Parts: sequence; structure tokens; C-alpha cells
Amino acid sequence: MHATLCDLITDLVQNSIEAGASEINLKVEETQTNLNVVIADNGKGMSAELLKKAKDPFYSDGEKHKHRKVGLGLPFLFQTAEMTQGEASIESTENIGTMVRFRFDPEHIDLPIFGNFTSAAVTLMSYGFEGNLSIERSVNGETYTVSKNELTEALGDLNDLESLTLMKQFIETNEEEINKRPDGSNRSVQSV
Amino acid sequence: MAKMTLEELRNLRESKKKEMSQRDGNDKSAQIIIGMGTCGIAAGAKEAFDAFLDELNTREIMDTKITQTGCMGLCFSEPTVEVDVPGMPRVIYGNVDEKVARRIVKEHLIGKALVSDHIFDKPAADIIK
Ligand SMILES: Nc1ncnc2c1ncn2[C@@H]1O[C@H](COP(=O)(O)OP(=O)(O)OP(=O)(O)O)[C@@H](O)[C@H]1O
Ligand code: FES
Ligand SMILES: [Mg+2]
Repeated sequence: MHATLCDLITDLVQNSIEAGASEINLKVEETQTNLNVVIADNGKGMSAELLKKAKDPFYSDGEKHKHRKVGLGLPFLFQTAEMTQGEASIESTENIGTMVRFRFDPEHIDLPIFGNFTSAAVTLMSYGFEGNLSIERSVNGETYTVSKNELTEALGDLNDLESLTLMKQFIETNEEEINKRPDGSNRSVQSV
Repeated sequence: MAKMTLEELRNLRESKKKEMSQRDGNDKSAQIIIGMGTCGIAAGAKEAFDAFLDELNTREIMDTKITQTGCMGLCFSEPTVEVDVPGMPRVIYGNVDEKVARRIVKEHLIGKALVSDHIFDKPAADIIK
């Protein structure tokens, strides 16, 4: 179902939004040998029982998709981890929040392509939800951070066409910067 | 393009705002809501989003809001997009790929005519719950 790892990240952050989080932290770190991702939220969390079910590849709380009881976010994550000998974990406490982490080998032949982080970030930043989303992004040690609060402060309503366009440029140019190779050329930034 | 800073972002926004208010101030803006659930994304909702952004900018229809939402519960016709233009019925379009997104801008937002072959339903109230 998921074409790219960025789609998976989008889905996992959407889970945090759906859990009513007011603060979401997303960290996406790429190095030569590792892809490290952490999604932490202060949403409604899960009871031990629910957490066990959520790890089950054939569970979705059934509130969203009336005709489909299988969630596509977490199962895809655990399946990918297994297929590529990566690591994935989820910790959650009811009424406190949830933290999902994974570490994949970027070179593994079965790993889906990374995808386009700019478009994932723009999607999540302009998602209609009240809370804040902070992103910490790094590629081979080069880093930038961006948060929904600071974007809103600079641009006003993030759903305005004008704001959306500027926000996309902002994230795109920061992505280009950290994806630059030492010789000045750009790492291929995949589209889609 | 060189890396943008928040400061530049703020300034750009300010200057664009001035430009905007010099044009005729349209009272209400059109709304586009794109379903970005798992199936929406798998079916190409992000490409539709990029196409909307591009087409609206090219045609300088700046008084538009684009919002993304999760699952619209309409998997089988993803990507689904809801369009609300003041003075027109609220419509849900199904199977909105890049081409259809551009058509919606041209025909619906500018031409004020519905793109009938992609209408999923109207009005939306009883479908989206
Ligand atoms: N961050 C979170 N906070 C609280 N509950 C969560 C969180 N992430 C997942 N869950 C719970 O785990 C279930 C499974 O999540 P998963 O992403 O796999 O499927 P889904 O979100 O229900 O459907 P889909 O992602 O396919 O639209 C969710 O229905 C929800 O109950
Ligand atoms: S994402 Fe398709 S019906 Fe929910
Ligand atoms: Mg999910």
C-alpha cells in the first residue's frame, strides 16, 4: 500500500494527530548506514491491551474505516522491519502519549524507497489540526528544524495558497541544503 | 535556490500580502479539502495536491485555501477532494489525479462549472460523517 518510507512516516504522524496530540515531535535522521526515525506524541496513548492489539497486523480500531478492520500504518512498519532486519518499537502510556521508533538499513535491497520528504512535511504541516508539530531532520550530520508554530507565526494561516507555497519553498530549500554533497552536487532527491 | 530562513519567509509573506490587498479584495475564498488517508496517499493524493498548488499559482487564484484531512471513508474513489466555492454547491470529486486537479481549477474555480464526470456526490453532508 505504501509506496515510500515518507508515506509511512506521514501515516504514523497522522496516528498521533488522530490520537488528539497537541505536541508531536518527528525526528528523521539519515546517515550512510542508518535511517533513524522517532515519532513522539502527547496524545491519548494506548492501554496495555490496546497496545498489544495495535501491534497485531490485523487490527485497526474500526472507527475510521467502517469497511476495513486492518490498519495500514503499524503493520506496514513492523512488516518492513522484519523484512529488512531493521528495528521497530512502539511504547505507549494511556493519557500520556506514544513513541514510535524505527531504524532501517538504507542499503537493504528490500527497503522501500525513501520518497520525497518535502511533500510529506508540507502535507503534515497543513493538515487541519490544532496542535504543534516539530520536525528535526538530518542527513549525514547536516541538520535543520522546523515547527508548525514558527511557520504559523511567520506566515499566518498555513492553509492559504500563498503560505502553502512559501512553506513548500522553505522546506524544499532546507532539504536541498542538507542533501548537498561536499563537492556541491546534490544527492538525488527522489520525486514522489 | 539558497536555503531560506524564517526571517525571509516572514518578509516574503508581508510583501505578498500588500500585493494581495492592492488587487480587488474578494470577500470569501474557495476551499479545497484533500483526503490524505492511507488509501488517498497510495492512490496519488500528494500528486493531486502538488497539481492544485501549481495550477492555482500559475493562474494566480490566490484567495484559495487548501486543507488536508485523513481518511474520508471513500477508499474506492481515492483520491477524493471536496471543493467549496462561494455561491456554488459543495462538491466531492472522486479519482482526482493530477489532470483532474488541473481541470477542477480551470472548470470549477475559474469557469464556475462542475466537473460532472468526476462528481462523487453533492452535497456532502450525508456522506462524510
Ligand atoms: N500515536 C498513537 N496514539 C494512540 N493510538 C495509536 C497511535 N498509533 C496507533 N494507535 C492505535 O493503533 C491502531 C492501529 O494503527 P494503524 O496506523 O496501524 O491503523 P489505523 O490508523 O487505524 O488505520 P490506517 O493507518 O490504515 O488509516 C489505531 O487504530 C489506534 O487505535
Ligand atoms: S484511508 Fe481509505 S477508507 Fe480510510
Ligand atoms: Mg494509521
